[in-house]
Amino acid sequence: MSQQIPQTMDKGVFLERLIFKFRPFWVLLFVIVTGFLAWQASQVRPEASLAKMIPTNHEFIQNYFDYRDDLASLGNVVRIAVENTEGSIFTAEFQKTLQEITDEVHAIPGVDRARLKSIWTPNVRWSEVTEEGFVGGPVIPDSWDASQASLDQLRANVLRSGEVGNLVANNFQSALIYVPLIETNPETGAALDYKSFSEELETRIRDKYQSDTVKVHITGFAKVIGDLIDGAMQVGTFFLLAIIITLVMLFAYSRCWRSSFAVLLCSIIAVVWQLGIINLIGSGINPYSMLVPFLVFAIGVSHGVQIINAMSANRVEGHDKVMSARLAFRALYVAGLTALISDAIGFTTLMVIDIAVIQDLAIAASIGVAVVVLTNLGLLPILMSYTGISERGRKYSEKVRNQDHPVLTMFERFSEPKWAYSALVVALVGLSWGLWQGQNMKIGDLDAGAPELRPDSRYNLDNKFIVDNYSSSTDIFVVMAATEPSQCIAYDNLEVMDRFSWHMQNTPGVQDVKSVVYVAKMGGYGLNEGNLKWFSLNRNQYVLNANTNRTPPGLINPDCSMAPIIIYLNDHKAETLKTVVNAVDSFNAEFQQEGLDLLMAAGNSGIEAATNSVIEKAQYKMLLWVYGVVIVLVFITFRSLRTVACIVLPLALTTIMSQGLMAMLGIGVKVATLPVIALGVGIGVDYGIYIYAKIKEGLDRGMHLNECYKYALDNTGKAVGFTGLTLAIGVATWIFSPIKFQADMGILLTFMFLWNMLGALILIPALARMFARFGKRIH
Amino acid sequence: MVRATVCASAALLLSLSATAQDAQVKDYDVIYAPAMTAPKATQAVLTDIAATEERWVAVGDYGVIVTREKASQEWQQAEVPTSVFLTSVDFATTNIGWAVGHHGVVLNTTDGGLTWTRQLDGFGYIDLQVAYYEEKVATLEAQLDALTEDDDAATEDDLTFALDDALFQLDNANFAKEEGPTKPFLDVVALSADEVFVSGAYGALLYSNDGGASWTIRDQAIENPDGYHLNAFEAAGDTLYLTGEAGQLFRSLDRGASWETLDSPYYGSLFDVHVDAEQRLWLVGLRGNIFVSDDQGASFSAISLGDAVNINSVINAPTGGVYLAGNAGVVAFIDAAGQLHKDSHPSGAAVSAIAVTDAGELILVGQRGVLSLAQPQSGQKGEQ
Repeated sequence: MSQQIPQTMDKGVFLERLIFKFRPFWVLLFVIVTGFLAWQASQVRPEASLAKMIPTNHEFIQNYFDYRDDLASLGNVVRIAVENTEGSIFTAEFQKTLQEITDEVHAIPGVDRARLKSIWTPNVRWSEVTEEGFVGGPVIPDSWDASQASLDQLRANVLRSGEVGNLVANNFQSALIYVPLIETNPETGAALDYKSFSEELETRIRDKYQSDTVKVHITGFAKVIGDLIDGAMQVGTFFLLAIIITLVMLFAYSRCWRSSFAVLLCSIIAVVWQLGIINLIGSGINPYSMLVPFLVFAIGVSHGVQIINAMSANRVEGHDKVMSARLAFRALYVAGLTALISDAIGFTTLMVIDIAVIQDLAIAASIGVAVVVLTNLGLLPILMSYTGISERGRKYSEKVRNQDHPVLTMFERFSEPKWAYSALVVALVGLSWGLWQGQNMKIGDLDAGAPELRPDSRYNLDNKFIVDNYSSSTDIFVVMAATEPSQCIAYDNLEVMDRFSWHMQNTPGVQDVKSVVYVAKMGGYGLNEGNLKWFSLNRNQYVLNANTNRTPPGLINPDCSMAPIIIYLNDHKAETLKTVVNAVDSFNAEFQQEGLDLLMAAGNSGIEAATNSVIEKAQYKMLLWVYGVVIVLVFITFRSLRTVACIVLPLALTTIMSQGLMAMLGIGVKVATLPVIALGVGIGVDYGIYIYAKIKEGLDRGMHLNECYKYALDNTGKAVGFTGLTLAIGVATWIFSPIKFQADMGILLTFMFLWNMLGALILIPALARMFARFGKRIH
Repeated sequence: MVRATVCASAALLLSLSATAQDAQVKDYDVIYAPAMTAPKATQAVLTDIAATEERWVAVGDYGVIVTREKASQEWQQAEVPTSVFLTSVDFATTNIGWAVGHHGVVLNTTDGGLTWTRQLDGFGYIDLQVAYYEEKVATLEAQLDALTEDDDAATEDDLTFALDDALFQLDNANFAKEEGPTKPFLDVVALSADEVFVSGAYGALLYSNDGGASWTIRDQAIENPDGYHLNAFEAAGDTLYLTGEAGQLFRSLDRGASWETLDSPYYGSLFDVHVDAEQRLWLVGLRGNIFVSDDQGASFSAISLGDAVNINSVINAPTGGVYLAGNAGVVAFIDAAGQLHKDSHPSGAAVSAIAVTDAGELILVGQRGVLSLAQPQSGQKGEQ
């Protein structure tokens, strides 16, 4: 090693001189920029906008956007079920509570008061056919005095109101308040604030009225979003946990507080910059892109470790603080830049997926990685040149250098034939397992209720309560029947829509179908004295107009050019959605009515069907891109196809095995998990680059493969192991997220980071051994 | 003369309905579209059920006809060449039967309900009406022309009035040609393999004496000047009953050749008429109105179930007495002693018709398709 000392007399490369000549200037600049970006970062908005989570250019979504305003009144509804845990709802005490809750909900901003419904609102009525025509009245008797007679009257009115299963549970032990929302405040024009609305529901309804005898269950899109934002906030605290664990690991690795804190500080600065820039470019942070700060932090730490690793080695060799820092920079900036560039490019391949949250995540991650180049390859060596390595750290480093670490010795064996081939056999077994299991991998969300949240979350339990006790599914697929203006209830169109409804009703996975056609048929039934033999459409348009007179808002649009056909599904599994989409397509192929288009799709399941189809296509496209980019990058760096194979094959093994893992754990390919594969490959390739660079260096010097590998392990292998662990820990805290998809992302990323690390440490030497045997030279 | 007209118009009808069918090839028309094979056929809205020696046959929405062999629990969907809402089914023999529905559709089966053919549709029915009223106008005009000064003024007034009415009906029929069939048929009764009566909305009454090969308009055989809906038939030997909207009640003692109007016990709609094993006449209808007559309709007494939901169907109970069924899932058993046992299906769905198996299980058809209910044993007692 002594032959290296003369080199240190050089001024080094231009970049190095630029950095180290103006150290105070750079420090000051970093302080100013960090201050500014910290101020920006503090203003980052949490956002959870539906439009960003869906593939906006997909045909279904375009159709949905065309009629978005018309469909608004259908979708955005909150349901509050008030349960009497001690029995029937027909008690004076319970009705009093229900009345109070109804009044309280009425007063919450954002509620569409005119359309608010509960048995205590005057718009809920019973009606009956008599010899003279219709009679009816409000469900709550006018003479209500909470007496037993009133309660009996109420029960009778409820039964003839047809609200059992809608506003009153099938078992009569809970009642429902149906709360339509106004998305934009008509006075201020401001969009509905889901977070504060959800909080108001909690404080003014659940906290206030829930007791030993009364239970409140709340569901609806607004509540999902509210709970998502709350959950995402909790994830913020995980960041603290990740920092603490990382600090402990850094110290265990370096035994030097100074360098541990320097690495931590630079990595946190990288996160601050990333968040600040996100805010500057007008973007926010959503539950998906929340992963990015964790990643940036972990990537920062892993590159920082390489710097302090080299730094202490230089100190052991007797260089002063500044020169040690300069040498560390000089030795690592090429590999570091290559690795970070490959990360960034790996992330940008996510841009091929046409879903805004994934693209946001790609942009945020690329920005973050770019920032890490500045902070951990630029600022960190500067800081270290001031602080240096503590005496304790230097000594520890010296001690570790001179002893063979048992773990390292173990990894070194994998360049020997016996171990190499055993490892390859194990890898083949893993590959077969991954391929076999991976066949069962599903597209989309697999759990019931709101898949964003955990199956046992309060929201999903509430949702289960409502699904079990009321006649309504929460998985809704909407087909839009588009016609010429004022033709939406024309006889010819209704007749085709009716046929379509029956076609869909007989499609597996469909529970029920409702639309204006059903209203028209019910109208025929109701207006003909409740005689079921009139439950049909009539060619006479005046009759049809009368029958559809009572159509609830939302089932036809204002100019009568669109009527949504609402298809209630058993679940939102990808196969179910595919079956439904195929059924709609086959109907459209069979029946073409001039002037009527049956367009897919709205409703949560319609949107999910679109998302699934985009994900399914993007899945392979993204893999092609990310592997294409990695292969080209590795080839450019090493100019050898065998090297490409050595580095890429372990990554491919991880990808395939993680697909097997997804199938095994019931994690579907979805908006949240798709990017994980690209992130895993993008970061995983770093390991290979670091390790193979050193093996190649050894081979070039004519060293034996075993020696080369030992050389590589000594120089970068340790750091690769440490990097794998820090990255894994950074994302593993996510496994505890209350948000299901964040937990899924955490599980998969942890698996990929660890497995990629092992793959790099074990399979690269093993593959190199195999190629060495079958070929003359490695590169 | 009348027969010749019918034959001529039947020929006209055949050619016209063929044209109408050709015109429908491009666009969907519910009359000509075969019923879809539906896994959930038994969950469609069903309106009527008939029993043959071998099986039950139920009809309803979307042209659904389902059959169940008596030895089986499984329902099979029949092949039906229409998708209209069917309202009634009746069999003359084990194999020969008819089903009717909206859009003027009449279906016929000769294999006990497994496959069906269309005998008439609304376009054909309108053509029948046009021909019928044209004939009638011509006859009346001829009679008016033939009047001499010896005839009195009253006869002339009567004829003029009848002519005006016939012209009005002819105008309606001609208008209907453009609009298409809007009047649903509501009930069918098969007196024999040849004799069939069909009743419908707005006083529609049709008769065939050749097994449905040709049809005669009989609207004017009954006294129904306001054109009230005719909801249900009952045949008991040569006696026929017909009931409908606004308490309409007619009786024929000669297999429908001539009809008399009976005094109705009710002014609201009646949905079913039934003669039980003891020759008592039952009428059921709107708001839980139930009437029974021991003297072929000369006098009635009222029965109350205690609530005001429509009763749609009455059948004989195998052990004597009758079963009644109606809206809101209401099912009642009135035993031979006149004791009332009330029950209801938990779904609360409207029940349109009812059948009973040898095992005593009730088959209900209605809003929720086919439902079943154990025989009501005991329950709330009503007052008679």
